[in-house]
Amino acid sequence: MIDPVMIMGITEAVLAQAEPEAAITGPDIIKAGALIGAGICMGFGAIGPGIGEGFAAGKACEAIGRSPEQAGLLTRTMLIGQAVSESTGIYALVIAFIMLFRG
Amino acid sequence: MELTAESWEMIGRFGGAGLALGLGGIGAAIGMGRTAAKANEAIMRQPERHGLLLRTMLIGQAVGSSPSIFALVIGFLIIFMPSSGANTGPLFAAATIGAGLCVGLGCLGGGVGCGWPSAAGCEGVARNPRRATQITTVMIIGQAVAQSPSIFAVVISLILLFVALPGTGLAAIGIGIGAGIAMGASALGPGLGSGTTGGGAVEGISAWPKTQAITLRTMLIGQAVCQTPAIFGMLVAFIMLFTLQDIENNIVGLAKILGAAIAVGFGGIGPGIGCGIVGQTSCRATSEKPQHDTLMLRTMLIGQAVSQSTAIYALIIAFLLLLGV
Repeated sequence: MIDPVMIMGITEAVLAQAEPEAAITGPDIIKAGALIGAGICMGFGAIGPGIGEGFAAGKACEAIGRSPEQAGLLTRTMLIGQAVSESTGIYALVIAFIMLFRG
Repeated sequence: MELTAESWEMIGRFGGAGLALGLGGIGAAIGMGRTAAKANEAIMRQPERHGLLLRTMLIGQAVGSSPSIFALVIGFLIIFMPSSGANTGPLFAAATIGAGLCVGLGCLGGGVGCGWPSAAGCEGVARNPRRATQITTVMIIGQAVAQSPSIFAVVISLILLFVALPGTGLAAIGIGIGAGIAMGASALGPGLGSGTTGGGAVEGISAWPKTQAITLRTMLIGQAVCQTPAIFGMLVAFIMLFTLQDIENNIVGLAKILGAAIAVGFGGIGPGIGCGIVGQTSCRATSEKPQHDTLMLRTMLIGQAVSQSTAIYALIIAFLLLLGV
């Protein structure tokens, strides 16, 4: 169904739209790969911490609803938990920066 | 291999319409199915009220199907609009495929999101049939806000279809597809999240109907914060469409644009869903204990702000890719 020759042909036709004098060279491909890699890295790396921290805050809100006098302790616990969940997001940010500025 | 203008046009039209309907139909179907499931459960509990419950289900499903109608309209436009407009050749294909991706992904999130308030509405009307009108009103308000990211996506799709892409060549192709991914994927999470929050509010109000004013306020504030990644995506899409005249017209420029689009687009999914979960539990807790609503609101905003942090990182990477480096 998806003919590889057709995909190759379309890709070639798309890439032929580049400026004629700027042929695609080695350093260009590396830089392009680094830039798109930075985007993919941060893009998908932001999914996990977002959902995880949302769960943490959600349960904290529910708990504060049940015992509001513990609000200080519960908020502090929530923030500590969210900071730990953030760590993979920071890893993704660091790698994305490395790819942007050293790629 | 050199493709003629007609070939590009066919690739664009069919690819774009396929993406628009193929992706955009998923969300509304899931949402409406969830509504029907909850309605069945509710009728099992209260069979003598089945007329009222069926009516609530149909109202909820009708509002919840609007994202797929948006996708259908854009799909028809892509297939049938005259091609002598702003873009020709491969740019036409890029613009139409971008428009299809944009509305497809955006309506996916909105469709599933709209399913939460309508499911909670059916359950709530079963628990509290005397307050059916009030519960249905809150359900429709929740669904309406959950659809706003899909409306942003429709706006960007229309711009892609009817406004000429800047420049010609590889960068312009990237802008067409990139703006579509940026807006579409970043509207996915907020649609889901706003819907989840709306569902929580409907649940709370059906259990404690007298707290409607406060719970609605918490719901609207929570949904507004959930929408932030969609605003980021729209901002990046506008930057791509209207200000990027001098980006390199080679594979490096293409990589920058696609990288920025994937970053801000997919980076909005997680924070949108997470903020939605925070809003859902906050609305329920606010209904249960309205005397502590300021504390709940503060905790909800702190929690949502921390959840948004990775969306902000993604926006920074997108800005660096488009405007810096």
